[in-house]
Amino acid sequence: MDAVLSVFHWNILIPWIFSMIIGIFVGGAPGLTATMAVALIVPLTFHMTPIAGLAMILGVSYCAIFAGDIPATYLRIPGTPASGAAVLDGYEMSRKGMGSMALALDLTCSVIGGVIGILILIFVAPILAKFALKFTNFEYFWLALFGLSMSAVISRGTKIKGIISMTLGLALATIGIDITTGYPRFSFGSVDLMGGINFIPAMIGLFGLSEVFKYLFVPEKLNNPTITEKIKISFRSVGKVIFQHKSLILRSSLIGNVIGALPGAGADIAAWVSYGMAKKISKRSAEYGTGIEEGIIAPTSANNAALGGTWIPALVFGIPGDTITAIVLGAMMMYGLKPGPLIFQQNAQLVNQIFTVALFSQFFLFFIGWASIKVYTQLFKFPRNIVLVGIVIFSVVGAYALRNSTFDVGIMLAFGILGYGMEAYGIPLPPLILGLILEPMIEDNLRVGLIKSSGSFLPFITRPISFTFFLILVIIFFWDPIIKAFKYVLKKADPAPFKGNRPR
Amino acid sequence: MKLRTFLVLALVAVFSMAVFSPAAVAKAFPKKPIIIVCPWSPGGGTDRTARFIADKLHGVLGVPVNVVNKTGGGGAIGFTYGAHARPDGYTITNLTFEIGTLKWLGYSNVNPADFRALMQFNEDASAVIVGQNSKYKTAKQLLDAVKANPASFKFSGCAIGTVWDLARIGMMKDYGINFSKVKFIPTKGAAPAITELLGGHVDVITCSYPEAAPQIEAGKLKALAIMADKRNPQFASVPTLKEQGIDWSYGTWRGFAVPKGTPDDVVETLSSAFKKIFASDDFKAFMNQNGFGIKIRDSREFGQFMMQQHLDLKNIIREAGYGKTQ
Repeated sequence: MDAVLSVFHWNILIPWIFSMIIGIFVGGAPGLTATMAVALIVPLTFHMTPIAGLAMILGVSYCAIFAGDIPATYLRIPGTPASGAAVLDGYEMSRKGMGSMALALDLTCSVIGGVIGILILIFVAPILAKFALKFTNFEYFWLALFGLSMSAVISRGTKIKGIISMTLGLALATIGIDITTGYPRFSFGSVDLMGGINFIPAMIGLFGLSEVFKYLFVPEKLNNPTITEKIKISFRSVGKVIFQHKSLILRSSLIGNVIGALPGAGADIAAWVSYGMAKKISKRSAEYGTGIEEGIIAPTSANNAALGGTWIPALVFGIPGDTITAIVLGAMMMYGLKPGPLIFQQNAQLVNQIFTVALFSQFFLFFIGWASIKVYTQLFKFPRNIVLVGIVIFSVVGAYALRNSTFDVGIMLAFGILGYGMEAYGIPLPPLILGLILEPMIEDNLRVGLIKSSGSFLPFITRPISFTFFLILVIIFFWDPIIKAFKYVLKKADPAPFKGNRPR
Repeated sequence: MKLRTFLVLALVAVFSMAVFSPAAVAKAFPKKPIIIVCPWSPGGGTDRTARFIADKLHGVLGVPVNVVNKTGGGGAIGFTYGAHARPDGYTITNLTFEIGTLKWLGYSNVNPADFRALMQFNEDASAVIVGQNSKYKTAKQLLDAVKANPASFKFSGCAIGTVWDLARIGMMKDYGINFSKVKFIPTKGAAPAITELLGGHVDVITCSYPEAAPQIEAGKLKALAIMADKRNPQFASVPTLKEQGIDWSYGTWRGFAVPKGTPDDVVETLSSAFKKIFASDDFKAFMNQNGFGIKIRDSREFGQFMMQQHLDLKNIIREAGYGKTQ
C-alpha cells in the first residue's frame, strides 16, 4: 500500500503526466516510433529518482503506442510500426464518418488491453517468462510463419493477389546484409541498400502517400472537408460496443501479451496476429477490412497488452522483451539498479511502484487520449486539399526523421507509387508489409535453427511448442477443405439433412 | 484546376527541400545534433556505455547527442554507415574490436583506415559462462569435455567472426580442441545469447562478465573464467584461464571515431570533450557500477593500436576458416 501511495507525489506526477502528453505527440507523428519516444525521454530522467524516471518511460510508451493509431485512422499512415494493423478497419471507419468513434473504441481497447497486460505481468510473470525462455529459433520460425500466414487471412480480394503482394514484401526484405552470416545481397555496392529497406518509410509510403496520389486523380473532391463526423461519441455509446465484444478484447489482449513476452517478437507482430486470428474465427469474417468495430478492437487491444508482456522477461530475467525494454534496462543500470532476477528481492518496493505506475498510466491514458481525439478531430475538419499537403509533409518528414536519411525519403516515395499502382490493380497492401516485417525473422531463425540441428529439419516438428505451432498452421490452412469434405461425407450419408428450419 | 496546380507546386517544393538540403558545413562546431552510431543492439554493453556517454557529451558540447543503433552483419552495417557519413564530426561511430575483422571476413572493406580515432575508453576480457545446472565447475573441466567430444557442444555469444566468437576459437585452438567440429550459434548480440543460455538452448557462451552480471549474481548463470592476464577486482572470485593452465587472453574494447577526412579542429574539439568526460568521477562511477573496465587511449595511440590489431587479425581469421571467399 505504501508503494501505491508513494507514486502520487508531485515530483513523480508532474514528469509522469508531462511524458504522457509528449507520448501522444511523438506517437501521433508518423516516422517517430514509441522506441524513439522512450529514447528521447531517457536522458531527461537521469537526474530524477528511479521511479519518476520509470514513470516517464512507462507513460510515454503506452501513450505513443495508442497515439500511433490516430494518424492510422485519419490518414492511413501508421504512427508507429505497432499501428500497422490499425489502418485496415480504422481508416475505413473514418471514411464512413465515424473516425472519432473508431478512435474512442481504439483508446478504450488500448486501456483495457494495457490493464490486462499489466495484471498478467503482476500475477503470472515468472511462469510466462519461463515459458518464453523455451522459445528458440525453431519456435520463432513457426511463429513468424504463422504471422505470415495471416496475410492470407487479412487480404481482401483473390488469394493470388494476396500472394503476389506478400511475395513482393518477402523479396524486398532480402535486400541488404543477410543477418545470419553478414553477406551483402542485392546491394550493388551501395551502402544505403546494404542497410536494407526499412519498413517504416515503406509503410508510410505504401499506405499514406498512395492515398494522396489517389485523390490527385479525382480533384473535384478536394474542396470538401476531410471528414464529416456523422456521430457524436459518448462514454455510453463506446461502453456498449466494448461490452458487446468483451471476449474478443480478452482474447486479443492475451495473444498480445504472450507474443510481447517473447524476446524475439513484439507489439507489431502481436497486432497483426491478433487481427488475423479474430478475422479467421469471426462469423463476420467477410466484413473485416470494411470498417467494422471488431477490426479495430483486435489489433489495438493486442498492441497495448504486448507492452506489459515485454516487461515480463525484462523484470524476471533482466533480458529485453523488445527495443523499448532494452532501453529501460540500460536506464535502470544508470539509476544504479541491477535489473534481473534479484530486483524482486532487493528492490521489492520499486517493483510494486512500477506495477502501480503502469496501472495508473492506463487510467491517465484514457483521459489524455480522449482529449487528444477531440483535438485531432478538429484538425481534420480542414478542406481535404490542405490536409493532403499536410500528409505529404508528414510523410516526408517522418521518413527522413527515422535515420536522417534522404534515401529513406526516396524509399517512401517509391513505395507511395508502388502502393498506388497495387491498389489500382486490386492487389492488397497489408501482405506486403507483413512479408517485409517477417522475412528476416523467418530466414534467420530457419538458418540458425538448421545450424543448431546440424542441418536436420526434425527439431522444427519434434519439439513440443514447435509441433503445436506446426499443427495450428496445418489446421488453419486445411480447415476449409476439411470442413467441406466432412460436410460432403455427411451429405452422402444422409441425403436430406436439416431442411428448412435451421436457425440461420 | 487552380487548386491542383497549387498542390503540385507544394509537392515539388516539399520534395526539393528534402532532397537538395544544403550541406551545412559548420563554422563553429558543433551547431546541430550529433549522432553516435552504435553497431550493436539496444541493451547490450556497447549500447549502454554509448547512451551514458551521449548524455555526458550533450552536457559538454551543448547540442543533443543521440545514439542510433544500426545493427546486423556482425557490425558491418553500423561501421560502414559511420565510415561513409559526411566527415563533419556530426556522425561519431562507436568502434569496437570488430572493426579490425570485417575486411578479413569478407563482409565489407571497412577497416580502421577509414576512420580518424578520437579516443578509446574501455577494455573488457571475455568470460566463459555456463548455465546454473551445468556440471562443469572449472574452465579446464569444460574444455576437457569439449576436447573429448567436440561435436556435442553448442557455443554462442554473438555473430560469426565477432570478438566473442574469435575469443572462443582462440581458447579452443590453444587447448588443442578441434574447434571446427564445435557448433557456434550466431546471435545479434550478447543479450540474445544470454537468453539462449538461460533457456538451455546452448551449452556455453563467451561474452564479457558485465554483460551477464545480473544473471550471474542471481545464480542463474555461472562464470567459469575470464580470459585476462589477472583477475578483475570487481569480480575477484572469477579465476583467469591462465590460473587454470590455459595461456589465452582475449577481449574487446570500445572507443569513438569519426570518418577519415574530418577536419583537425573538429577532431580536437571532440577528443577534448571525450577527455573531459573520461576524467570525470561520474564516468568512473558508472563504469565501475556496471563492471566495465576503463582503458584510455588518446587519438594517436588508439589509432595505432587499432591498425596493429587489424593487421594481426588477418592470420587468426584465416586459421579459423572464415572469409574463405577472399
